[in-house]
Amino acid sequence: MSGWRRAACVAAWLCCWGLAALLPPAARAAQDEPVQALRMARIQAVIDGRPQDWRTVPLPYHWDRLHRNHGGRAVVEARFDLPGGPSAQPYTLYFPLIGNAAAVWLNGKLLVRYGDLDAAGRDDYGKIARQVAVPPALLAAHNLLRIELRADGGRRGGLSEIYIGPTEQVQAHPAARAGALRYAGSLFLGAFSLVVGFIALMCWASQRVADADGRLRRETLYLWAGLAELCWSVRVFDALIEHPPLAWPLWGVLMTGTYAGWVGGVLLFCHRAAGWEHRRSMRFMQAAAGVLVAAGLVCSALSFAWFRPVLLTGWLGAVNLCAALYALVYMAATLRRPTTARVLLAAAGVLNVAVGVRDWVTIRLGNDLGAVTWNRYVSIAFGLALLYIVLRRFQQASGQARELLGTLQARVAAREQELASTYGRLEAAAREQARNHERERILRDMHDGVGSHISAAIRQLQSGRSTSDEVLRTLRDSMDQLKLSIDAMQLPPGDVQALLAGLRYRLEPRLAGAGLALEWAVQELPPWPGLDAQAMRQLQFLLFEAISNVLQHAHARVLRLEADAGPGGLAIRIVDDGCGFDAGRAPRALQVRAASLGARLGVRSAPGRTEVAFTLPAA
Amino acid sequence: MERMPPIDARPPAEAWGVLAVEDDLRARAFFESSVRACAGLRWLAGLGSVAEALAWLQGAPQRPDVLLVDLGLPDGSGVEVIRAVRARCPDCEPLVVSVFGDEESVLASIEAGAVGYLHKDSAPEDIAQTILEVKRGASPISPMIARRVLAKYRSLRAAEPGAAPPEQAADVVPSLLSVREQEVLTLIARGFSYAEIARLKGLSVHTVQTHIKNLYGKLAVHSKNEAVFEATRLGLL
Repeated sequence: MSGWRRAACVAAWLCCWGLAALLPPAARAAQDEPVQALRMARIQAVIDGRPQDWRTVPLPYHWDRLHRNHGGRAVVEARFDLPGGPSAQPYTLYFPLIGNAAAVWLNGKLLVRYGDLDAAGRDDYGKIARQVAVPPALLAAHNLLRIELRADGGRRGGLSEIYIGPTEQVQAHPAARAGALRYAGSLFLGAFSLVVGFIALMCWASQRVADADGRLRRETLYLWAGLAELCWSVRVFDALIEHPPLAWPLWGVLMTGTYAGWVGGVLLFCHRAAGWEHRRSMRFMQAAAGVLVAAGLVCSALSFAWFRPVLLTGWLGAVNLCAALYALVYMAATLRRPTTARVLLAAAGVLNVAVGVRDWVTIRLGNDLGAVTWNRYVSIAFGLALLYIVLRRFQQASGQARELLGTLQARVAAREQELASTYGRLEAAAREQARNHERERILRDMHDGVGSHISAAIRQLQSGRSTSDEVLRTLRDSMDQLKLSIDAMQLPPGDVQALLAGLRYRLEPRLAGAGLALEWAVQELPPWPGLDAQAMRQLQFLLFEAISNVLQHAHARVLRLEADAGPGGLAIRIVDDGCGFDAGRAPRALQVRAASLGARLGVRSAPGRTEVAFTLPAA
Repeated sequence: MERMPPIDARPPAEAWGVLAVEDDLRARAFFESSVRACAGLRWLAGLGSVAEALAWLQGAPQRPDVLLVDLGLPDGSGVEVIRAVRARCPDCEPLVVSVFGDEESVLASIEAGAVGYLHKDSAPEDIAQTILEVKRGASPISPMIARRVLAKYRSLRAAEPGAAPPEQAADVVPSLLSVREQEVLTLIARGFSYAEIARLKGLSVHTVQTHIKNLYGKLAVHSKNEAVFEATRLGLL
């Protein structure tokens, strides 16, 4: 199953990393002079201002165990001999634990002070190991080490066994190495948790994911993980804080709170990562986490107030128990339906529970004052699992985005193609329509113009009554119509001026041939809107008709063409000095064409002056 | 179109030699009879194709004074004949034979170097008359063609700044039309006859006709310049 396989890879990587960090480095070269471990001391404690008798105790001197969680001060004296006398090389004193505050004297000389001995509940130097360089001049064959201590109740104060020897040997000693590792480990793991927690909270604050019901919600997975990691980073960094901002035992209660916060956050994170956020158990888990934190704060506070460490120990035990139970349930669910996240988290959970139980037994129940929690090291598994989940989600999201983008592109391309083919069809239809219009126009033109003239010529010839002059005139009309028709193709719509000029050019030879003088009284005409190609052709026909009438019937000597544009419209007048006709019976062809143009036809006729006027109304 | 009064018959020796290249035999016969009927004109030959025309020019027994040419010949365009004639005898004036005198064909022939055009359906005496008028310095132009020339001139002017290389623009456009030519063209486009224009502008009819004929020459030169310019632009020259 891919979940198992992926989880196995991640776990193997984690194990390698963990082993590399935890393995002790290779032993150093042979030691010239052995490091002495001082395991017995004489002490005199002062509890609640009452000095107690001197007594000899084994080291470590576990203050809380010996003095039942009451704070106080003590003087510790330990003796050691250097049989060969001090050599010239530098010496070092090494304390796996000393504090909470302390001052160290060697042969009556002050070597070092750790914190304020008088301010109870303030400084705490007893969380990491301490080394003190000893000037060789201070050493003698028989030496007295005198240490003044201040310890706060329940703060794991006291004095561990003491190591003394040449600096090089002391630093190579396993106890000193463990102390160095604890320091570096706390620094690294605290920083790691801080970074991971910060990233998780940023993810929570900045991202919204669509819920099953489609609503956008913040991802609580990140919130729980972020809170857990931040709590844990405070908890781990505490080892490096010598001057806590809060006085003991308030600071102690807060530290218990951060531990509780870590456990609660991790539980909720695991629950959410398993995909159970919509189950009723999620609510239960949230409530349980709240109770766990509250109980931790209460137990811790009471344990310090009543000097009853058992309360805190009990709470820690209960936490371990609950966590173990939850880990079992989680493990079972994972076995049924494994996913990579579940497998990783189940493994991390089991590991942490096991280590948590070990820590609880060693530190809360055992007597080893210098013992270190292992939990701080293995907790990193949750942080790594979270990072894995985040990366996996990012990978999935970017994969989905790529897929979406691909789909979108395909859809856009399909739509574009569809549009192009629709456009092509429309264009083809428009072209077809334009062709049809043009065909119609040409057919009508031929019918009204050339066609009618040629058929007239045929009739004239068939009847045998027409003179050849008459037939010739009809054929010339036909030719003129053809030329006018060709001119009309080039006429810009609305350009009546060009239309009249072309008409004159085409008809003038006929007028001259008929001995008809032309008077040209055409003013400058503006382009006339509303006259399309069809209307221009109609106007040509109309004028041709009118001029033909004058040519054929009027017996005139002068033909005058007038045109002007005014507010009343564009007026064209054909005036001749011929015999005239009955103005009440204007030629029907003229009436029909004028009507189709929307032009007003006005005819005034008397012998010697006939005027046919067309007025195109202003658009 | 303004008609000139009929001119006096000239002695045949001084009559203008007319060469016709027209594949339509009836039209050719019609031209021949029209020319032969006119004392001022001399019929040289009637040919039916570009090849025949080029061969005839090669032999060149006489130089033609006037060339009547159809643009659509069976083996090529009349434009080739116009070029060959213009190269051989620069004084010869080509007239294009057109059925309709429509803008497209007339403009194309003018740009090829023709100085005018004849309508196929003209009366025989009008054919001779037009040829004689052309030899006396006239050139026919229709209002439609005048309008097209003006439009072309205006578009050239509009494209002038920066469009063409400076030396080309300075060379071609200003020399295309003088102010007077532009006025005359505008009036022709409005439908006025040469005589009316002469009256309106205080010119002689002959001056108006000269303007038009010059214009034809300019159009031909301009189209040649345009071709050179285009060829230069395309890297052919």
